[in-house]
Amino acid sequence: QGVTLKISHQFPGGTLEEGDFRDRLCRMFAAEVQKRSNGGLKFEIYPGSSLMKTNAQFSAMRKGALDLSLVPLSYAGGEVPEVNIGLMPGLVPSYETGAAWKNAEVGKELNRLLLDKGIVLVSWIWQAGGVASRTKAVVEPDDVKGMKIRGGSREVDLMLKAAGAAVVSLPSNEIYAAMQTGAMEAALTSSTSLISFRLEEVSKFLTSGRGQSYWYMFEPLMISKAVFDRLTKEQQNIIMTVGAELEAFAIKAAKQDDLTVASVYEKKGAKVADMNAATVKRWQAIARTTAWKDYADKNENCAKLLKLAEKLL
Amino acid sequence: MNPLTLGVLYGVVTLLVMFSGMPIAFALGTVATGFMYFLMPAASLDTITQNVYEEMASITLLSIPLFILKGAAIGKSAAGRDLYSAIHAWLHKVPGGLGIANVFACAMFAAMAGSSPATCSAIGSAGIPEMRRRGYSPGFAAGIIAAGGTLGILLPPSITMILYAVAAEQSLGRLFLAGIGPGLLMVLLFSGYAVYRARAEYTQAYRAYQQTGTHSAYLEQEHFTLAQKMEMLPRVLPFVILLIGVMVALYGGYATPSETAGLGALLAMALIALVYRVWRPSEIAPFVTSTIKESTMLLLIIGMSLLYSYVMSYLHISQSAAQWVVDLHLDKWMLLCVILLMVVVFGFFLPPVSIILMMCPIILPPLRAAGFDLVWFGIVMTIVMEMGLIHPPVGLNIFVIKNIAPDIPLKEIVWGVLPFLLLMLLAVVLLSLFPQIATAFPDMIMGGQ
Amino acid sequence: MSHGFEMTPGKTVPLPAHPVLRMLATGLHWLNRWIIRLSMIAMLLTTLILTYSVISRYLFRVPTDWQDEASVFMLIGVTFFSAAYVQSYRGHIGIEVLSSLLSPAVNRWRLLLVDLLSMAFCGFFTWKSWTLFYEAWIDGQTTSSTFAPPLWIPYAMMAAGMTLLTLQLLIQVLDALTVLAMPATSTTFTGQPAVAGQAARGEKA
Ligand code: NA
Ligand code: NA
Repeated sequence: QGVTLKISHQFPGGTLEEGDFRDRLCRMFAAEVQKRSNGGLKFEIYPGSSLMKTNAQFSAMRKGALDLSLVPLSYAGGEVPEVNIGLMPGLVPSYETGAAWKNAEVGKELNRLLLDKGIVLVSWIWQAGGVASRTKAVVEPDDVKGMKIRGGSREVDLMLKAAGAAVVSLPSNEIYAAMQTGAMEAALTSSTSLISFRLEEVSKFLTSGRGQSYWYMFEPLMISKAVFDRLTKEQQNIIMTVGAELEAFAIKAAKQDDLTVASVYEKKGAKVADMNAATVKRWQAIARTTAWKDYADKNENCAKLLKLAEKLL
Repeated sequence: MNPLTLGVLYGVVTLLVMFSGMPIAFALGTVATGFMYFLMPAASLDTITQNVYEEMASITLLSIPLFILKGAAIGKSAAGRDLYSAIHAWLHKVPGGLGIANVFACAMFAAMAGSSPATCSAIGSAGIPEMRRRGYSPGFAAGIIAAGGTLGILLPPSITMILYAVAAEQSLGRLFLAGIGPGLLMVLLFSGYAVYRARAEYTQAYRAYQQTGTHSAYLEQEHFTLAQKMEMLPRVLPFVILLIGVMVALYGGYATPSETAGLGALLAMALIALVYRVWRPSEIAPFVTSTIKESTMLLLIIGMSLLYSYVMSYLHISQSAAQWVVDLHLDKWMLLCVILLMVVVFGFFLPPVSIILMMCPIILPPLRAAGFDLVWFGIVMTIVMEMGLIHPPVGLNIFVIKNIAPDIPLKEIVWGVLPFLLLMLLAVVLLSLFPQIATAFPDMIMGGQ
Repeated sequence: MSHGFEMTPGKTVPLPAHPVLRMLATGLHWLNRWIIRLSMIAMLLTTLILTYSVISRYLFRVPTDWQDEASVFMLIGVTFFSAAYVQSYRGHIGIEVLSSLLSPAVNRWRLLLVDLLSMAFCGFFTWKSWTLFYEAWIDGQTTSSTFAPPLWIPYAMMAAGMTLLTLQLLIQVLDALTVLAMPATSTTFTGQPAVAGQAARGEKA
């Protein structure tokens, strides 16, 4: 009587009311599903990669060894190249475009592809990001010329390289130390990570993702198809419904983090800049010929997904 | 079965398997896989190799062999011997001087390396034979190196603090700075004990000589003229150059932390090639081989310990234990005691890296709620985990010493490290009474929180 | 006290008595020595790679985005490939308090049991590593970085290394079994550490 499902994620753990919004979302999801299923479904949440390494989550879900996970989809790009579309610079210029994916052709295609790989998308979550820098403000493509900067993904790195940056690759847990010593000058990452990595202590400039950004990351809540198929129809419905309902909370919380990051950096004395539509367009133009092209050339599925996503621009 | 009973069973089975004499790495893996087979979904068994790989395949963790190589290049070549003769010439009048020198050498290496076993190995490979040659009892020599080596994760840079900073959402810079004060405190405590113990051993040796005529290296009278002492100074140079070179690369922003590991190893080998003409493959082979042996042994243990902690997390053992502690509604300091006790218990089975990854997400929320400064707690937890490094069954530093000095029986090592365990406990108490030992330095440099 | 610590590795790894086992052990020993040579080169190469990346960034302002992963691959290779060599002289450290408490005869059985269990685990791990390798090979999996090297490379090294380790354990188990099957010679046991003793005894027998 009653199934206990495990949710794993890499973000800091908190409570229902407080902490990283992605952890809160998991907790809200767990509480609500448990309530609606009358205790038929229970959850154990493992924050901070306390169950398994971030990169092992996707594959474990595919095999049915992990039930649910909230993880940046593009992290699985080495295993399933198509999912790199989840962090394609310039392809999603706003939360509204991101939200439109779910019911558009691109979302249906992505859903189909992931189902095929053994993954069911439960909650569609997008998050904007920005740039923290210790030497100079990074807003326009020209700004990164010669800068030692960490893009954090193949696609973003390709774009940065084309803009003339000296791309640095290092593990995310070394970002702080590298920024502190100057081994790295700037880093692109999500608004929440810009805070949780405490980069404000070692940065003098922030380009915030509030309002507009060329950097949006897809980090959905997912469930293993093998596990999902074992549940009753009713339980499946509850999971999908609650997942969809939480998307509004995710957008609101992500936008709030975009604002929070700016104020946190301002308080530390960093100069905060914003991006406008023209800036995003300029980055997009570079990404189109580098990252987008690189992605589309990977295989037919990738090319198709990219084309469908472009329809929403 | 409830998770707590399961936890006890898991622990008991592990102890049984370990004390049967099975190599630690295989013991951890076997117990984990066994419990997985009986208690977890069948699909879990398909993920064990990927889990181990993902945990091991991080340059932060894999910098350990490079740190060991850097230490071995100096410690296992003539450079190490010269360094110690110079130190001996200058410090032989001070009781326990060589012991103090080893503690300081550990602290200096700790400031260049992020890992404790690497520090232990680097200084121990020359330090232990040297101390024993001068009459130190094997257990004492092993204790100094085992304990001094633990400074590797307390003094910056530190692999475990990097992981802690992310889990606790604390400033890594502040954490690193906060480790310096307690690190120096421990250098002081260890040195003080070295003087005390060396004096005691000297007296004992002297009595034995008077009664039975037994000779001990402790009693050898040596004299060095100032000219002789000055002559020896340049021999310290390779070590000083290495120290400065690595520090500049790391703190000057020339290299990322993991690059520093490779750079330091290469620099160390370049130095012994230039100064001591050690460059032929036949001369390099011995210490590179010993580095490979040691790091293979260590990394397999660390890799399997991560598999072990995965099963522990999956079966909700650690989480239930933490929940149980929270439900006791203890007052602030009792909560801290119980949580540190948990760290000690996990320290019996796991190295610091696995403890941090598994426990932080569970124990930090109640500590935060109780109003503890999480930077301060990170330091306290680090010291408690250091204790786990020097006591059996899973004590990485002990394994390193077993590798360096295989002829010292485990029993003597354990007796040798015991006083240092007590000193670390004392450091934890002092740190609880005077949190400023940790917080003053970061507050001064980065401003109060 | 503990078995194996006192031996200088490489030269005095004990050889089994049984001729077939002896041949196998010699072959593996020969292979291990070559692996160690390669591992040494890999290790030195890793230090060069990491240093190169510092230099190229500062002198030529040319970034390298492959150095971390190349280093990880090399060191993973070194670790797993050397595992069998370390096992050959029993350098994987365990807790040997029982050996001084039990009689030599009981110790032999204890060690055999420990080796059997170790072999079973390593065998299982080997099997699952090869499956992992196979999946990565078929799907063309890569790491998710910019450099994106294929994942079958480290998986294959892990699988091959674990295979050798299992083989090494198998030889040690079979050696112990053949020795246990020859009770008549047990009088020549000289009180050396248990396993070295078994082999040394075998050589005399
Ligand atoms: Na350190
Ligand atoms: Na321990």
